[in-house]
Amino acid sequence: MTPEWVLPAFDAHAALVAPWTEHRDTFGWVGVMGFCVAAACGLLGNYLLLRRMALMGDAVSHSVLPGLVIAFLVSGGRGTGPMFAGALVAGLVATLIIDLLQSRTPLKQDAAIGIVFSTLFAIGVVLAVAFAGQIDLDPDCVLNGELLFVALEPSVAVGSLTLAPPAVIRMASVLALVIAVIVVGYRALLVSSFDPGIARSAGVHVRGVRLGLMLLLSLVVVSAFEAVGAVLVVAMLILPGATATLITERLPRMHGIAVVHAGASVWLGVGLAVWLDCSLAPAIVVAGAALFVAAWLMGPRGGLLIQLWERNRVQS
Amino acid sequence: MNRTVCGGFSGRRFGALVIGRGLAVLAAAALLVPWVQAQGTAGALGGEMAQAWRFLRLEDPAVRYVVWGTLLLGTTCGLLGGFMVVRRMALVGDALSHAVLPGVAVGFLWNMSRDPVAIFVGATIAGLIGTAFVSALTRTTRLKEDAALGLVLASFFAVGLCLLSLIQRLPSAQSAGLSHFLFGQAATIGPEDIRVMAVVAAVVILFVLALYKELVAVAFDAAFARSQGLPAAVVHHAFMFLLAAAVVIALQAVGVVLVSALLVTPAATAYLLTRSLPRLLLYSALLGGAAGLAGAFLSFLGPALPTGPLIVIAASVWFGVAVLFGPREGWCIRLWRRRVGVGRTRRENTLKSMYHVAEVDGFARAGVTLEELAARRRETVEEVRRLGVELRSHGLARLEREVLYFTPEGRRRAGEIVRNHRLWELYLTQSANFAPDHVHDHAENIEHVLGEAVVRELERRLNHARWDPHGRIIPSSSELERPAPLEGGGLR
Amino acid sequence: MPSSLSTPAIPPVLEIHDLTVAYRRKPVLWGVDLAVGPGQLVGIIGPNGAGKSTLIKACMGLTPVQGGWVRFWGRPFAEVCSRVGYVPQRETVDWDFPVSVMDVVLMGRYGRIGLFRRPSRADREVARACLEQVQLLPYADRQISNLSGGQQQRVFLARALAQEAEVYFMDEPFAGVDAATEASIVVVLRTLRDRGCTLFVVHHDLPTARQYFDRLLLLNLNVVAFGPTAEVFTADLLQRTYGGRLTLLSEVAQALGAQGGSR
Repeated sequence: MTPEWVLPAFDAHAALVAPWTEHRDTFGWVGVMGFCVAAACGLLGNYLLLRRMALMGDAVSHSVLPGLVIAFLVSGGRGTGPMFAGALVAGLVATLIIDLLQSRTPLKQDAAIGIVFSTLFAIGVVLAVAFAGQIDLDPDCVLNGELLFVALEPSVAVGSLTLAPPAVIRMASVLALVIAVIVVGYRALLVSSFDPGIARSAGVHVRGVRLGLMLLLSLVVVSAFEAVGAVLVVAMLILPGATATLITERLPRMHGIAVVHAGASVWLGVGLAVWLDCSLAPAIVVAGAALFVAAWLMGPRGGLLIQLWERNRVQS
Repeated sequence: MNRTVCGGFSGRRFGALVIGRGLAVLAAAALLVPWVQAQGTAGALGGEMAQAWRFLRLEDPAVRYVVWGTLLLGTTCGLLGGFMVVRRMALVGDALSHAVLPGVAVGFLWNMSRDPVAIFVGATIAGLIGTAFVSALTRTTRLKEDAALGLVLASFFAVGLCLLSLIQRLPSAQSAGLSHFLFGQAATIGPEDIRVMAVVAAVVILFVLALYKELVAVAFDAAFARSQGLPAAVVHHAFMFLLAAAVVIALQAVGVVLVSALLVTPAATAYLLTRSLPRLLLYSALLGGAAGLAGAFLSFLGPALPTGPLIVIAASVWFGVAVLFGPREGWCIRLWRRRVGVGRTRRENTLKSMYHVAEVDGFARAGVTLEELAARRRETVEEVRRLGVELRSHGLARLEREVLYFTPEGRRRAGEIVRNHRLWELYLTQSANFAPDHVHDHAENIEHVLGEAVVRELERRLNHARWDPHGRIIPSSSELERPAPLEGGGLR
Repeated sequence: MPSSLSTPAIPPVLEIHDLTVAYRRKPVLWGVDLAVGPGQLVGIIGPNGAGKSTLIKACMGLTPVQGGWVRFWGRPFAEVCSRVGYVPQRETVDWDFPVSVMDVVLMGRYGRIGLFRRPSRADREVARACLEQVQLLPYADRQISNLSGGQQQRVFLARALAQEAEVYFMDEPFAGVDAATEASIVVVLRTLRDRGCTLFVVHHDLPTARQYFDRLLLLNLNVVAFGPTAEVFTADLLQRTYGGRLTLLSEVAQALGAQGGSR
């Protein structure tokens, strides 16, 4: 390697403690926002993993782009409402087209997802470029997210009470909604994910549950989009749940582990970003991935190290 | 089985339609983009034409590089994508393309420049590590393949983004070229890149030609291939290596996010068009190459239109055309088939009713009056007349003074339908233990689709029975062969 | 008998010694020993999860083995793989795969054809003959997605026949097959046996197992019994295969990590 690229020295205090004490003004809302995104995605992701729909998140997050662009062109401004609605509609349209292709052509789900997300994303890029004069869309934001910017907006004040930046409030409400849906619909979600046949006979509206889940997915992905970008949302959806499956086999505990994973990866990720001076959202995902790898190696249930040990034992 | 026969027949007739409509859609797409562009930049139409002409003459070296590049990419990815779609690993390309990003960054850090070879090596290695992770995850954990793919895809991508943001902060780095890998920038394709692409394309084509047999065997049934001593693991790894290489050469033109479309979309389109693997691969490669050319052409028409997304959109247009107008499973042909089927079933039911009426008095009279038919079908005379006119227009009956007469063809068809119905009822009651009062509705549907071979088989199995479960005569095949007299009691 | 002393003993067609296979933490096969001679039709029976398929796969090196060895005619599988045929379970492949019946049967020849070469006319003739034998010749050019379950199974059988092997491993060839097809498959199996082939057939239907096979291998984690059907098909041995003592063994296997027991 060339000498000019050297790893900065690691200062544990500056990376892991200082952001939350001395620099709380800068990182406080970043932390809250990051946690809300990661926790909402992680909780919902558990169910996507159960239903083998992990990559639907990928499709929805990519289709958000044309939704945003079209909403911008139609409404003529960056108003939160129309942009949000446009992205949501695009996400739902993507899931509907995927379902349609899957049921009405000989293609399987993988091909359907691959075609739909790339087409919609390509349309989004072309529109964004073609109307570049009118749209101010940063390609970096689409991929990296703007976590720092989102959390640095001026806080909303109600009367004399200063609350939080608007994006944080939005994301926190989405997280609350996800939690509420899981608490209220836990049984229906569980049964229809595990065995649609039994669920139907027990009076659960399986298609309705699926549609609701897709709606919730679109909502979460769209709200997380501006913070973490199109691709990293997928990591946020899958990593916490995947880590949890390595640690426990019981769904209720998986929720807890997913939330812990979300919190820990935000903490470590901010540390990583401070240390290396790199983008925030990717750093949080890298930290989450590192936690996953740690669970993979050392997990109590079928961790790699345990498997290795078992094998030697059987052999001897 | 009737469906396949019908498909073969209508498929050919639909082929011409498909091509025609496909071209129309293409033309529309080709017109739409310049229009959008014109709206955006208020460019004159004359300028567009001149630009298109410039493209078509291929004199500009930059144009030649882009054309060659996109053509090579589309063909290479299409060919490899064919195998991926039939192996149901379409999204592996997606994971691979995102996983190469850290390799691109490391390749850049290697000597601090956009050196195509260093980046190619770094990216290919990173992609292979990514796919190795996917297979290790699915083997050693309870995660399913989709979760493993998504996890590797996004995690590697995050690592790559971190590294890129580091690089962008380096004081001396000429990192401007690197962002092209995210969204693609076909205009930056130079002679050096073309050479790399040509080598990869040549290796891929030779590989597929030389090891076609092994590739198919491994793709269809890897365990069986291994049990025969075929080098399944070597073939698989070589394939993944070439796939990684193809993804990497495509990155620069199409960008990380959209590379997988080059692999999946042309192959999925071909999958809708044919069920023969060699043909599927050929179509896929051709469609990929055509998408590359179309994308290059369209992007050339406007000053700032990105090539990569336009290639993807072109490929998606082919796909949409195939979904709607495909000769085998296209939505239009299905609709058409259903309409044809509905019409035929209606006519056959009318013939059957005529047969039933005529049967009552042992085919003593020459014709069936519309009134009798209406009473039999519980419909108005007006409705029945319409049915009669339909029969006449198909040469199955004559309609004279409110009386319908079978033509010889109509008489034969009516006999066949009644025979099918009664044979099937008999078969259900005798061999499948259905109660006699349950079988009628089944037979109502089956009678229209039983083929000649199945009927012979049924007759054989039922020992050429003469009577159906309700005690009525079953017209036999041999009697239907020779034209019975219209007013024959010949059947009895 | 001096002559038998001077000639070396002919090695058995298949010899398995102390074979142990584990999946994750759980042993699936545990110290399996077996020796089988030529010209036998062997049924492998046992409860679900007894390791029947795993035994077949381990013999052909398709699954990693933790201990023991497998020999065919005294040699490792890799040296004789062209003499061993295989019928995998029907569900293991994607029947929407775009190939024809003929293509699939020709795959049985690939081990012999060698790398880089195309199937010759002679290979096609063999494949046609094999299709004829399972009464599927009229379907040769059909796409495999248009086949019924029984036809799919017969395609797999024809592919194995095209291997022209001397030992066959068949994983549940009767699963999801109607009675007529089952009978026709049994005829093919017996023809092969009469030609001197040795066949190992995983089967799960006890009454028919008694009719079909010369010898039975009762398997549950290890070999419960192996011998002529008449001797092995006893209430006592079946009880030991499907319940009772042996389930204790499997419980121990599952708890192996905690118990720390090893053979």
